[in-house]
Amino acid sequence: MSNTALLQGTLDVLILKALALEPMHGLAISRRIEQVTKGTFQVKAGSLFPALHRMEQAGWLASEWGESENRRRARYYRLTAPGRRQFKQEAAQWARIAAAMSNALDTI
Amino acid sequence: MFSRLKFLWRNLVHRREAEADLAAEIRSYRDLLEDENTAAGMDLPAARRAALIELGGAAQIQEEVRDVQLGVMFGQIAAEIRQSLRGLRRNPGLTILGASMLALGMGASTAVFSIFQSALLQPLPFRDPHRLVQISETRLARGLNRTSMSEANFWDLRAQNHSFQEVAASHDDQVTLAGMGPAEKLDIEAVTAAYFRTLGVSPVIGRDFANGEDQGSDPNWWNGATVAILGNRFWKTRFSGDPAVLGKTLRLNDKPYTIVGVMPPGEPLLDQPVYIPFGNRPGTERGSWEFFVTGRLKPGIAMEAARGDLAHIAATLGHDYPGADQGIGFRIDPSSEWIAGDATRRALWVLLGAVTFLMLIASLNVANLLLARGTARRREIAVRTALGAGRARLVRFVMMESLILSGLGAVLGVGIAYAAVETMKAMNVTGVPRLSGAGLNPWVLGFTTALALATGLLSGIAPALQAPTGRVAGALREGDRQTGGGTGARLRTLLMTGEVALSFLLLVGAGLLIRSFSHLMTADRGFQTEHRLLFSVSMPGSYAGNGTGKQLIDRILDRLRALPQVAAAGSVGVRPMAPSDPGMSIDSNGRGNGSGANAPPWAGWRIATPGYFRAAGLPLLRGREFDATDKPVWAVRGQPEPQRHVVLSTRLAGILFPNADPIGQHVTLWKGQSNRDADVVGVVGDSLERGLAELPALTVYIPYGANALTSEFLVETRGNPLSLAGSVRSLIAELDPNVPIADLSTFEQVATQSVAPQKWNAVLLGVFSGLALLLATAGIYGVLSYSTSRRTPEIGLRVALGASGADILRMTVAQGLRPALAGIALGALGAWWLTRYLTNLLFEVKPFDFSTYLAVAGMLLATAIAASYVPGRRAMRIDPAIALRLE
Repeated sequence: MSNTALLQGTLDVLILKALALEPMHGLAISRRIEQVTKGTFQVKAGSLFPALHRMEQAGWLASEWGESENRRRARYYRLTAPGRRQFKQEAAQWARIAAAMSNALDTI
Repeated sequence: MFSRLKFLWRNLVHRREAEADLAAEIRSYRDLLEDENTAAGMDLPAARRAALIELGGAAQIQEEVRDVQLGVMFGQIAAEIRQSLRGLRRNPGLTILGASMLALGMGASTAVFSIFQSALLQPLPFRDPHRLVQISETRLARGLNRTSMSEANFWDLRAQNHSFQEVAASHDDQVTLAGMGPAEKLDIEAVTAAYFRTLGVSPVIGRDFANGEDQGSDPNWWNGATVAILGNRFWKTRFSGDPAVLGKTLRLNDKPYTIVGVMPPGEPLLDQPVYIPFGNRPGTERGSWEFFVTGRLKPGIAMEAARGDLAHIAATLGHDYPGADQGIGFRIDPSSEWIAGDATRRALWVLLGAVTFLMLIASLNVANLLLARGTARRREIAVRTALGAGRARLVRFVMMESLILSGLGAVLGVGIAYAAVETMKAMNVTGVPRLSGAGLNPWVLGFTTALALATGLLSGIAPALQAPTGRVAGALREGDRQTGGGTGARLRTLLMTGEVALSFLLLVGAGLLIRSFSHLMTADRGFQTEHRLLFSVSMPGSYAGNGTGKQLIDRILDRLRALPQVAAAGSVGVRPMAPSDPGMSIDSNGRGNGSGANAPPWAGWRIATPGYFRAAGLPLLRGREFDATDKPVWAVRGQPEPQRHVVLSTRLAGILFPNADPIGQHVTLWKGQSNRDADVVGVVGDSLERGLAELPALTVYIPYGANALTSEFLVETRGNPLSLAGSVRSLIAELDPNVPIADLSTFEQVATQSVAPQKWNAVLLGVFSGLALLLATAGIYGVLSYSTSRRTPEIGLRVALGASGADILRMTVAQGLRPALAGIALGALGAWWLTRYLTNLLFEVKPFDFSTYLAVAGMLLATAIAASYVPGRRAMRIDPAIALRLE
């Protein structure tokens, strides 16, 4: 399942979810998503960076340079208040879709 | 919102910082990956390698981030424009060829659109033009579906209708203007006092006619008034726009008129030099249709309701005046049709369609050029792909070039259009409504801009689609030179087919119109128009009463006939083939009850002098010409009714006397009105009295005399008619310096003038189709020379394997002929479908005119062969040894 293509919009909500707990740098976000989806989604840098920049421009994320646990300089992203609202909204929507989909697939 | 603005600012202004930041972020990501790998036990080089692999290309990531970054696009587009410009400069041949082809197309389109816009889209210079209508009389039973209105009917309609806020009548006339230099003939318009209020236009200076100012007691209907309003152009040219003109006096036909106002410009509906009011007089004519009637609908009254109202009035009039108004009806036409009638409208649409096709051909040509170039640029595009340019970016990059080209074309095209329209204005082209108003206004420039954008996108699509994305490595390795074939070649063949098909459409359209026009010009006119001079002499109204006018006519004719260059001379009341056409009902005694199919025919009447038929070249078929013994049909006051004699045209004589010799028979003139009896003394040949594009007219000729003056003089000359002009002018000046001479031209010119619109349609469509043919030739030639040069190695191989020069030539020509044949077939199909819209512009030519289609097909085929022959010859000369070494 490692090559599952990310559905449109999935990446955004996964990034928001990852950052909901604590600010993180890019690689950590990528690893967190891998972990929580049990390896179903592997986020490549080529998709991650455009998404991060797009969401930052939308005002959902803020970023600043910080230092990682092994003392590397890294850019840390955190959720802003609009980002949190966006996350709640998208999470609720995904829950609805997922429930509807699994319900539909079960009944067939 | 605020956050977006912040980033836009950062990306645009602090671009370098933003870039450095991004690069640093990606580097940090790589370092973190490396740390992860060393932590998992890899040695440093292996960890670094693994990190690089997982990261992917840093350049591509940066590029993808840039794609989502706000505002970055602007900078990229600017860079692309610079690159495209550089590319176009490096290929001056392509740039000049492409831009000039587009310039031709856009020039033609812009010129036609500016005429179209001025004639059909520009609103009338009147308030609420949607409430403004023209009202005409009809006599459907007699096949008359639109005539001017009679004076009495107009006043009745004005009094009885419930639909119009106001109705007004106008009538063109000519007067002699004196007191401003030498006497001259002047067009005036007599209007009812409410005319300008009905139109919804106010004077720029001075005042409008007041109600009641149109009342007069003089039996000459416009002579009662004493005030005049000037048209804008007359005011500008003759009084240099001086406001002090108000209160001055104009002497028209020896009567003074005080100038009270000046109208704003409003051509062609307000372009008369002088307006004079006329009013309701008792006992006006009901049978002579001379008035152009306009109405302004009451607010909220629909045109349909007004039609019902008028139908009611028509029924009443028909009942009350069974003579003159039998079978009368009214018709209403919206003011939007005033400027351009049905035929003109149709012609303008056809021309607009033609330039659209021309523009399409030009775009196809440019697409072809860019396609050829795109193939040569595969490497460049592959390099860009390798560096991370996405498909959208590539498409944009390729399109940028076609957009710049079409921008160039638009700029040049606007120049061409300007020159073309100004030339048409300078040539005083008639038949194009409101030409003087056509020009480069914002509407037209907007159209050109939109056209340039559409053309840029259209001609960019094919090359953009062709830009390779998938096979980067292959494209990089292949190098620049590869054999022809593949999608590019197929696409080019398709475009070539399209060009030929579109050219076919244009050529067929032009061919049909040109054939129509030559039919018009060669049709039997009845008249002899060669070696004939025509001029008008306008006499003051006072000349009619006392016999001065008749004397003058006689002396002019005598003096003309005495000239050695003159073979015959005569005079007539109305200029042949000119728009004016006075008519009457005429009947023979005992032709049934006079209704339905037996209704008396409507015939034009013309006052003619002895010798007119010979001068006009109308053959006398029976009986005799007029001579000095024939008297006018109108009695002189206080004298007994004259013995009336008339001459009929052949067809009219046949309708009135189908079974008898018309000579000596009685006819009733102005049947239903004054009912005057007359005897037929002669029959002359039919003529195209109403213009070359009209059917032969039914005409009744009546003799001239002291109270029946003529104004048009027709002279048959030996040699060039215009060489007589000087003698004519001095002759008239000698006889009477107070009568002006006007409109001197050859009969041939007058005849041609009557089909000026048809001529212009044919000329313009001919020019457009010529351009189309030129562009298509260039297109076929370009594609074939390009593909032949691409196929050099292949052709070299064929020659090496034993193909003869003739084989190679045949192969190349066949390559050009296949799309040409397909294009011709498609074009014929399209023309068969589209030429139906030409039907009412054609004259004695069917829309599916086989010989035209055949000629066009032949012409295109010959062009295609010629265009493929040159590259074919070049291919023949390919030396296999050299060609194969190029691999």
